Amino acid sequence: MGVPRAPVEPPTPEQAAFLERAMTEYGKATYNFALRLTGNEADARDLCQEAFIRVYRAWRSFAPGTSFLSWIYRIVTNLHRDELRRRKGRYQEEIPEDNAPQEFGGARPLAVTPIDDYVDRQLGEPLSKALALLSPEQRQVLILADIEEYSYQEIAEIMGCSIGTVRSRLHRARALLRRLVERAQQQQR
Amino acid sequence: MMINDHLSTDLLVDYLHGELAPEDDALAHAHLASCAACRREYDLEVSLSETLRAAARAEEREMPSMISALIWERVRGARPGPLARVAALLRPMVAVPVVAALLLGGWFASPYSHPGTRPTVDAMYYLETHAAQSGSPLSLQPGPPALETSMIDGSTSPLIAEHVESSHVTDALDAAF
Repeated sequence: MGVPRAPVEPPTPEQAAFLERAMTEYGKATYNFALRLTGNEADARDLCQEAFIRVYRAWRSFAPGTSFLSWIYRIVTNLHRDELRRRKGRYQEEIPEDNAPQEFGGARPLAVTPIDDYVDRQLGEPLSKALALLSPEQRQVLILADIEEYSYQEIAEIMGCSIGTVRSRLHRARALLRRLVERAQQQQR
Repeated sequence: MMINDHLSTDLLVDYLHGELAPEDDALAHAHLASCAACRREYDLEVSLSETLRAAARAEEREMPSMISALIWERVRGARPGPLARVAALLRPMVAVPVVAALLLGGWFASPYSHPGTRPTVDAMYYLETHAAQSGSPLSLQPGPPALETSMIDGSTSPLIAEHVESSHVTDALDAAF
């Protein structure tokens, strides 16, 4: 993935203990979250590694009593977004934002492969593959809302956006997924 | 929102995620109990969420051990930066002995630590001795200074020696002309 490597200082004993515990307790969740966001193991490994290095460097800024998972998901989300920006050109930017009508055809360009192309190529693939069709932000919000089951408020904090943005991204992502599933079912008949 | 209005998909999604205001939530709940069309739509949304969760569970895996190994490799192989090295010097375990050593070194290097060898000049003694040697009572009359020697090693002061030497030159020039 090529996530830029942050410089690291040698650990204090407390810092090393913090990192050890963070990886033991949240390594699996973080890795799976990264895997769903990126859709491939190599990128997920890079993302996960860099996220824990960030945790290690900023360990003093973690407020006890708050959710560690939310914190590291936020780190992963930000790293992923930054990486996608660096890869500008390979990805288009996100679908135009809030309050736009939920239309997936017509003049407004999609940030993703057109549905028909996708259905032709991906028919029969697991539903999780459909996540790859969504814009990165839609994929993040869908994972956080429906798989991780965070509230809109928590998602807004993790993603650093408004609740309204979370709501509109989620509505659009789900509508797109439903269309994909319906198309796939029609093709199978 | 009215109880008889059909529920939009967006509203059903918010209802499913428990994100409606209490009044709207109650109205949606009542409407779903009586409207088969909206109930069908809602069930589709529920099944989409369940399918996503099931797919995520099925694909869930452990974090590869190589990730933590690489992280530890980076962390343990890290070398301190310049700031960290300066900060390490300032740690009490290092700073206290260093400061103590500097203070002691400064003390022993200063003349106050050797009272016996301290170069002191008793001005009155010096003047009285000078007067006794020259055979004249103590006076402050101007005149060329006598060739003085250091009280410590008996050597001639360079400044005085220079003065004497320049007097000899002046005398020689006077004799020539």
